[in-house]
Parts: sequence; C-alpha cells; structure tokens
Amino acid sequence: MEDLAKNLMEELECETVFTIPVFGGIDISESVVVTWIIMAVLILAAILLTRNMKIDHISRRQAVAELIVTKLTGMVEGMIGPEGKTYVPYLTTVLLYIGVSNIIGLFGFKSPTKDLTVTIALAVMSIVLVEAAGIYHLGVKKWLHKFVEPVAIVTPINILEVFTRPLSLCMRLFGNVLGAFVIMELIKMVVPFGVPAVFSMYFDIFDGLLQAYVFVFLTSLYINEAIE
Amino acid sequence: MNTLIAIGAGIAVLGALGAGIGIGIATGKAAEAIARQPEAEGKINKTLILGCALAEATAIYGFVIALMVIVMLK
Repeated sequence: MEDLAKNLMEELECETVFTIPVFGGIDISESVVVTWIIMAVLILAAILLTRNMKIDHISRRQAVAELIVTKLTGMVEGMIGPEGKTYVPYLTTVLLYIGVSNIIGLFGFKSPTKDLTVTIALAVMSIVLVEAAGIYHLGVKKWLHKFVEPVAIVTPINILEVFTRPLSLCMRLFGNVLGAFVIMELIKMVVPFGVPAVFSMYFDIFDGLLQAYVFVFLTSLYINEAIE
Repeated sequence: MNTLIAIGAGIAVLGALGAGIGIGIATGKAAEAIARQPEAEGKINKTLILGCALAEATAIYGFVIALMVIVMLK
C-alpha cells in the first residue's frame, strides 16, 4: 500500500526533464516533451499520408487519408453546425491531440492530459475561442448584451459561466484520465496479468477517446451557443 | 488524523452516488426510447454515451477532491 501511495504521488507530480538556459532558465516538464512526441507522430503521419496525391486513380494510402479527414471533419461539423465551419479544423486538431495523448499511456509514455497544466491550457484555449467567436460573429455590443439575456437578474450567473465552463472542461478531462490511471494501477496490484488487459480496453482506449469527443463536443456546443 | 483524512476522502467519493443515479435513469430512458423507435438506435446511443460522460463528471469531481484531500493533507 505504501508503494502505491508513493507511486501515485510520483505520477501526480510532473517532473522537469531539462531546463533551457535563457531568461533565468525555463523548465521543460515531461508533459511538454511527450506533447512534442505526439506532435512529431501526428505531423509525420500527415506528411506520409498526403504525399503525391492525385485526383483520379487514387492510391490506397490516399483513400485512407481521405476517409480519416472526411469522417473526422464530418463528425465535428455535425456537432457545431454549418455556421461554425470556420472552427472545424481547430476542433479536429484538438480532438486528434487529446485522443492520441489519452491513449499514449499504453505505449509507456506519461499522458500529457494527466498533467493539470495541460488540461488547463486546453480549457483556456477553448473559452478564449468561444468568447472571440462570439465577438467576431455578433460584434461587441451584441456580445455584451448576451450577458443580460434572457433576464437581467441572471447576469452574475452568465459572467460566472465564463469561469466555470473552462474549470469543468479541464477538471473533467484531468479527473477522467487520472481516475482511469489510478483504477488501472489498483487492478494491476490485485491481478498482475491477463485481467488488466481487458480493463485497459475500456479505461485507456474507450474512455480516453470518449473524453476527447466530449471535450470537443462541449467546446463546439459553447461556440454554437455564442455565435447564434 | 489519518483516520479523519480517510473518512473525508470517503465522504468526497459519495458524489459518485449522483452519477450512478443519473446514468441509471439515462440508460433506462434510452432502453425505452429504443423499444419505441428501434430505427433511431444510432442517434439514441450517441446521445446516451454523451449524457453518461457528462453525468460521470460529478463522480470524477468527487474522486479528484478525495485524491486532493489525501495528497494535500498528508
């Protein structure tokens, strides 16, 4: 039991891998390095899949690339609606990043989403995008007027929502990934082999992808609400 | 002190109760909906999974708080 507690503490703390010696030293933590790895993998996959594309007589590789792009963008477009088409590429990128980083734990890396700072950054990006989209589509006046809708008395709640939305977004993602990890550790302690693989299918793969989907769905819901 | 921390963490996890009830109701209603309109199964399933993920959030909050209670107070 002591081992587990120590192990958990170790996983909760994100240690610094190295320090860039400028401006008095910038700490590069493990999650940033794993994010770089994910970026490299995604960029490499994108380059490999999209090399010498043709209009007709497409190769099998191009068919796979087209399938991925149409399926993902179609899914996100279905969530955000036709008015929010501008935001589909960003949301798809977030979906890919969170999805890959949730299941990268299977390959022995530490998921970046298990680090609270990463999920906070993602949530802040989302809420900035939501508010910016509101201002861009409606103009400052109408955007401000949205705070007093439907009645003036709910204004404090509307303002509070700007802060609770990113909080719930980041806590949901972080808690789910961390919770799945803790439960997996407990199962591994009870049954060392065989059984964890079955549970890992649910906790690591299904739940990880579901959380990526939920994050993007909620962001698109908020955007949709902000621009109408 | 350790006992109190353990009790506090246990109380925080009680939030899972709400998630359990919520997911139970959602699944029951989804089963009813599919029985009534089997052709809409795909759409219902999608909504159900999403609703479950959202309802689960309360349980996750409880879990995060319990973990924080243990880690911070120790």
